[in-house]
Amino acid sequence: MKDMESIVIRGRGAIPGIASGPAMVCRETIQGWSGIDEATGKVIEKGHPAEGQTIRDVVLVLSGGKGSNGWSSHFHAARIRGISPCALVLPKIDSRTGVAAVVCGVPTVVDLEEDPFKVIENGDLVTVDGTSGTVTIRKA
Amino acid sequence: MHLSDEELKTLDGQCGPLKQKALEFIVKYANVLGAESLCRVSKAHLFCGAHHYLEAVRAKDMDEVMSEMWFCSPDKTPFDTVGCFSQSDCSPVDHLNWARMGCSEDEFRKNEQYLDRCLKAGVHLVGSCVPYMTGFIPVRGEHYVTTESHAVLMMNSLWGACANADGIEAAFCSAVCARTPLWGMHVPESRKGTHLFSLTCKPETVEDWDLLGYAVGLRLPPHSVPILAGNVEGADMVRLKSCFAAMATTSGPELCHILGITPEAPTLAACLSPSGLEDRVEIGARQLREAREILCDQQAGEVDYVSLGCPHYSIDQISEAASFLEGRKIHPGTTLHVWTALPIKAVADRCGYTKTIEDAGGTLMVGSCPLVSERWPAGTRAMAFDSAKQAHYIKPLTSAKVFFGNASECLEAAISGNWGR
Repeated sequence: MKDMESIVIRGRGAIPGIASGPAMVCRETIQGWSGIDEATGKVIEKGHPAEGQTIRDVVLVLSGGKGSNGWSSHFHAARIRGISPCALVLPKIDSRTGVAAVVCGVPTVVDLEEDPFKVIENGDLVTVDGTSGTVTIRKA
Repeated sequence: MHLSDEELKTLDGQCGPLKQKALEFIVKYANVLGAESLCRVSKAHLFCGAHHYLEAVRAKDMDEVMSEMWFCSPDKTPFDTVGCFSQSDCSPVDHLNWARMGCSEDEFRKNEQYLDRCLKAGVHLVGSCVPYMTGFIPVRGEHYVTTESHAVLMMNSLWGACANADGIEAAFCSAVCARTPLWGMHVPESRKGTHLFSLTCKPETVEDWDLLGYAVGLRLPPHSVPILAGNVEGADMVRLKSCFAAMATTSGPELCHILGITPEAPTLAACLSPSGLEDRVEIGARQLREAREILCDQQAGEVDYVSLGCPHYSIDQISEAASFLEGRKIHPGTTLHVWTALPIKAVADRCGYTKTIEDAGGTLMVGSCPLVSERWPAGTRAMAFDSAKQAHYIKPLTSAKVFFGNASECLEAAISGNWGR
């Protein structure tokens, strides 16, 4: 659905609540070990398109998890240090990102009806409504 | 979501606060996944120990740290019971040779306190990433949890057992409440192959299989189930543990069919997704060569540290390393660690392999690895691994050179103190 100002993608609300922030779009999965620096929230995976960017206060649009089964623990340790995405958009849920969503506890929409990677770009202002299951995008 | 009477009683607190917290987490997780019910877990393999990531919690009280990081509960809820057969994964400390890792006595004692709490809760302190080599063998259709990524691939693929790559919090919670969401690999329909990888070369050595796993993972999209086909006759447990460790490094599969070898893949038709293949990929000698080029620093040079045994070595791999080192000496400026599980070391002790490695100047280590401990000798400028997983993950953590090669290359480097000269 598209109007003059915003685009709405529907999915399944997984963690309730509403949050907005700039999009950080990761079509490439992020690895567990050596994927995210827990002290800064920066992606440290060598060669990752988002290497050097931080997950702090962004709407993280992420294709999925890979690598260590301890994937969620890195998000968990970062959250304890006060570093977390403000919301999660997971186009297709999997076990690694599913646990991370519970651990982060931020509004989360999963299993989207449209491909968000065709719509959302880095820096777009995105509002995630994890109660109704909608993702609203205002282009940067 | 459908919950049984027993599960409702647990959520109501009738089975104690720990089981209540654990099941609350699992129900939240099931809701995120979209699962409609839970299934009973009979085995749990758990990342026990005073791992570095726990330091995010500033509390000194061990129970507060465990409550937050293992059970996602800000309320202190002591870990005092498990609801199924449980054994421990790697910890950050070798409890026998901790000083040789560079651990302080305080770090050793702290880790022991965490492990002691796990033991009292009912977790067997095996301390290994290869639970399937130490008595943790779920059968076809059995539901289990594990905190080790390659162990999921091994036990799901080779025996048809059922687990997802859930993560540490979910694994601890499942161990306590003996439940996990009935979703993903726990459901037969989700276990069908989506991507066919045809091998145009014949992987033979452990290194070949390691590189194969790495190369497949680089080409495998998320949410996929790979099928390996052609030239797979050389697969065995040692080769597959390396293959799957590498595959679960560069990608996230929870099951890998091997045509004609794994039980759910007697034929392509039997293991194929009803919607058909999403992609076909050929993997040959060139792809393996490219994987090695990614993993191994291309400049020859001195080596300070050599680490073998990721995943933990089997007894025959230890035997081979000991044979290689028989009558030889490690370079005085180089440290050699060979990692395995405690029960396997007991056999190595009995057979004399441990002494042979020690006589050469190396150490047979247990219960950890450089990646889990985030430790290598102070001042290391170059290190060598016979594991794609270790080389891949440690590169971003160090400014030291990282070399990757087969066990013989690594042992030669340990003896000469040099790589590639």
